[in-house]
Amino acid sequence: MLQSLLPLLIDGLANAALIFFVAVGLTLVFSVLRILNVAHGSFYSIGAYGAATLGLWLVSAGANPWLSYPALLLSAVFVAALFGPAIERTLIRWTYGKGEAVQILVTFGLFLILEDLQRMVFGVQSLYQDTPMTLLGITQIGNVVYLNYQILLIVLAVLVLVGLRLLIKHTRMGRLLAAVVADREVSEAMGIDTDRMYMIAFSIGVFLAALGGALATPTTGVAPGLGAETMVLAFAVAAIGGLGQIEGAAIASVIVATAKVLAVYFVPALDSVAPYLVMLLVLMVRPQGLFGVAETRRV
Amino acid sequence: MSRLLVLFAAAAVLALLILPAAMPSSQFIMTIAIAKGFAALGVALLLRGGLISIGHAMYFAIGAYATAFMMKFGVLADLALLLIGSTLVTAVCGLVFGTFLVRFRAIFFAMLNLAVSMVLFALLSKLYGLTGGTDGMRVATPAVFGLELDKAAFDDILYYVCVGLLVAIGLLIRAYLKSPLGYALMSIHTNEIRLEYLGVSAWSVTLIAYTISAALAGLGGAMAALTIGHVLPEYAYWTESGHLVLTAVLGGIGGVAGPFIGSVFLEAVHVLAVDVAADAWNMILGAALLAVIFFLPHGLHGLLEKRAEPRKSQGVVE
Amino acid sequence: MKKILHHWTTAVLPAAAIALAATVATAQEKPEALSIGVFTFTSGPAAAYGMPGKQAAELMIERINADGGVAGVPIEATYVDEAQGAEGVISEYRSMAEDQDNQVMIAALSSGNCLALAPLAEQLKMPTIAWNCDTHQLLRDSELKYTYRPNGNTLPEFTAFVAYLLERQPDVKRVAIINPDYSFGHDAADIVKTALATFAPDVEIVAELFPKLGASTYQTEISRLSSARPDAIFSNLWGADLENFVRQAGPRGIFQQSQVILALGETVLQRVDLPDGVIVGMLGDGYWLSPDAQSKPDTVAFAEAYHERYGEYPVFPSMKMANALVVMKAAVEKAVEDKNGEWPSRDEIVAALEGMTVETMTGETSLREDNDGIVDQVIGVTTASDSHEFKVIGDMVRYDGEAFMAPVGEEPVEWIKSLEPSFLDTLPAAGSYK
Repeated sequence: MLQSLLPLLIDGLANAALIFFVAVGLTLVFSVLRILNVAHGSFYSIGAYGAATLGLWLVSAGANPWLSYPALLLSAVFVAALFGPAIERTLIRWTYGKGEAVQILVTFGLFLILEDLQRMVFGVQSLYQDTPMTLLGITQIGNVVYLNYQILLIVLAVLVLVGLRLLIKHTRMGRLLAAVVADREVSEAMGIDTDRMYMIAFSIGVFLAALGGALATPTTGVAPGLGAETMVLAFAVAAIGGLGQIEGAAIASVIVATAKVLAVYFVPALDSVAPYLVMLLVLMVRPQGLFGVAETRRV
Repeated sequence: MSRLLVLFAAAAVLALLILPAAMPSSQFIMTIAIAKGFAALGVALLLRGGLISIGHAMYFAIGAYATAFMMKFGVLADLALLLIGSTLVTAVCGLVFGTFLVRFRAIFFAMLNLAVSMVLFALLSKLYGLTGGTDGMRVATPAVFGLELDKAAFDDILYYVCVGLLVAIGLLIRAYLKSPLGYALMSIHTNEIRLEYLGVSAWSVTLIAYTISAALAGLGGAMAALTIGHVLPEYAYWTESGHLVLTAVLGGIGGVAGPFIGSVFLEAVHVLAVDVAADAWNMILGAALLAVIFFLPHGLHGLLEKRAEPRKSQGVVE
Repeated sequence: MKKILHHWTTAVLPAAAIALAATVATAQEKPEALSIGVFTFTSGPAAAYGMPGKQAAELMIERINADGGVAGVPIEATYVDEAQGAEGVISEYRSMAEDQDNQVMIAALSSGNCLALAPLAEQLKMPTIAWNCDTHQLLRDSELKYTYRPNGNTLPEFTAFVAYLLERQPDVKRVAIINPDYSFGHDAADIVKTALATFAPDVEIVAELFPKLGASTYQTEISRLSSARPDAIFSNLWGADLENFVRQAGPRGIFQQSQVILALGETVLQRVDLPDGVIVGMLGDGYWLSPDAQSKPDTVAFAEAYHERYGEYPVFPSMKMANALVVMKAAVEKAVEDKNGEWPSRDEIVAALEGMTVETMTGETSLREDNDGIVDQVIGVTTASDSHEFKVIGDMVRYDGEAFMAPVGEEPVEWIKSLEPSFLDTLPAAGSYK
């Protein structure tokens, strides 16, 4: 029994790890800025393209293959620095207090622009950069061979989760963020630079999405359309966990990934339906998500 | 309605009627523009109530697949019956999903619509045996009042039927918006609690609007299926829903004509853009959307209306 | 209402027909160029397969034009990206067909798009040469007059793999299938399952997966395949999907664990280092290194020119596209000849295609009465090469195209069931094609 459950568990967690990075970014941005960023998935694919391009360049330049690991991180940092502050300061800031319709539309417009920007910069062919995966080797569990890189992903996801928790609970910046989340006006009255907090939170969100994309490249190909697909998946996870709930996103990642893995193993015909079916079922019972706070109607 | 606006509308309808004669190649594109305009009108109705749905393309898809299935099994396989049947099927779906969905507002409403639409999209793509999966389904050319036509003649008739429905249903929706129900819908946006204090059930007001908006999208989907001759799961994908909202906002949600103006405008720009900037089409769309939201909160329609009737239109940025 | 409509159709349609006839009449003078539309994927995951097709089209057209064109007329091609989806593809096909200058469509790559375009070709009376789309559904139940497919269909293509597998691995008992989730993948799975049930009834299908076309990750599917412990894994993944799958499956030991059959594996040989002994094919005979191809100086020169320009040798989609253009050229030239040197109309080009047999770059294709091409099937296994850095195909067999074709009008998958296991003994042996 354990023999057959173990592969399920590892597949589920490895999948969950990849979704978690991008979903937690989405949920973090929502919790601070109260904005559902429809362009969030694009940062995932830009991070992936950046990492693949940088990695391929390093390989072709004959650099030490182990450098492909910092390249993954570097890509995410670069994407966050390039897009985070610039977009928050301009487009996003303009939408504060303007209602969900405007916020969704503005970020959808941004999504469309970023989609074509990627095609122009990175082309339309698929990219592969699997050096980091091949370097780490494999582990055999039962009769299934796993990549050590997949296990590394699970560890990294847990580190990010713990790191975010520590950041919010135990650092000055984290407490300031929490204060802004709790009450923007009071925080401002207390002298907190809320504008700066918004910019930081948004940039961290972009970083997490780009990191998810970068970390995915060694085990996936990068092609146009990746952003749009990731967007809905991240969205499903964030909604199931409850928008704004970091632990919620972690648990929801595991739920969604497990649902998908179970489908591949037992009902392959439903593999791509599973995540959305779970989302629908959860939201029908708890529209605010598993860990969200109820708020059905505006008063 | 001011005299100027009537004049605008009459001129537009006249232009639609003579366009295929003047530019035969535009007929196919205009049929699709009108089809998508109906779906965008549905989205615009909800936006008037302050409700944004990023899943509304599912009703477009339901209408299109209803037509495809009716043709496949030869049930009601006649133009008028297909349009009516598909619209009814979609309206029933809208009513059923709506009873649950319209309890929610703001981000939750948007999300739940997205969830339902993605389940539908995934099912349409995966149920290969039933729906043809990602290949979609062929839609043969139906008869028109028992008369078997070749596709070209059928397309001509379909086009004029679409224009006719545009005028007829446009007037109906206009009447609805000017009715107490229509005003009640607008007050869902502005002050829902006061509405309930007046003894009006917000739930039924939104449910009616939601069902109508689904039916409009379904009618558009049926038209698209008939003119394209093929239906695909992509019709229900979330980016399509985004495009519908974009079309509605670009055209303006202040009047019935807005979404159609937006839709025709977009298809026209698309045709031009295919030659000069095929790779930048999404970018053009996105930039246009941002420009409209920033500078033209009442959309293209608002631009006309402002000339005719200053300070009376409704926009999204309020 | 009925009466008005009737009146309308009787009055307007003949007028339109006369107008149409007039434009056709003028088109019969020798044009400045033979305008064609070429439909392929130039973006997205399918571009890994579609771009070699486009590159081959560009090179072939250049070579044909340099050699005097088609009956003295140079070819001028407009390329359409199939990645925009059926709605966009239909819309572009329509507007191109309405331009009477366009005389032939080379369309399309994807089976889904071909199925959507075929009725349109009939309606617009547009000669259409499907350069790829292998689905046997395309020409099965409908009497298509304007769509031809010189490269053959899924039935011989996949039955041939079962024959080859059973010859090399007669003891195979557990088979898994991983195909893309659309008609091509499902058709192939049906054919493989039916052929296995017919020729080796004790084979069990232990997993059947259909990841969506364009999926970027296959890790879960790979675990599933691994844990099912199949003796053989059959796949007709293609394009970037295939490259993705191979790159992800390789490190996880799939190729050591099972005999893998990659029906479209020839396309990745130059890009990924596959282990030895993987059964690969090219859905037809379009292998540029096959003995037949190498015996044709024109094909060798084409392959070298291709390598020179694009940095890679042609893959079989390139050869399929090149062969489709060869067929088109032959048809137009035959039509010109039939008219004693006058330029043919669209209908006359279609008439010329009927029943043609054409020598292609890699063999021969004969068009049957249902417009389907009969093409030989070449299959082999990956082997190291003396002259190339990448793996090539060794231990090849060349099955006669006719052997696996269901007779015209018969339901193809049902037809397989009528075969006897002894049918396999009549086939040439692996390694016999040298």
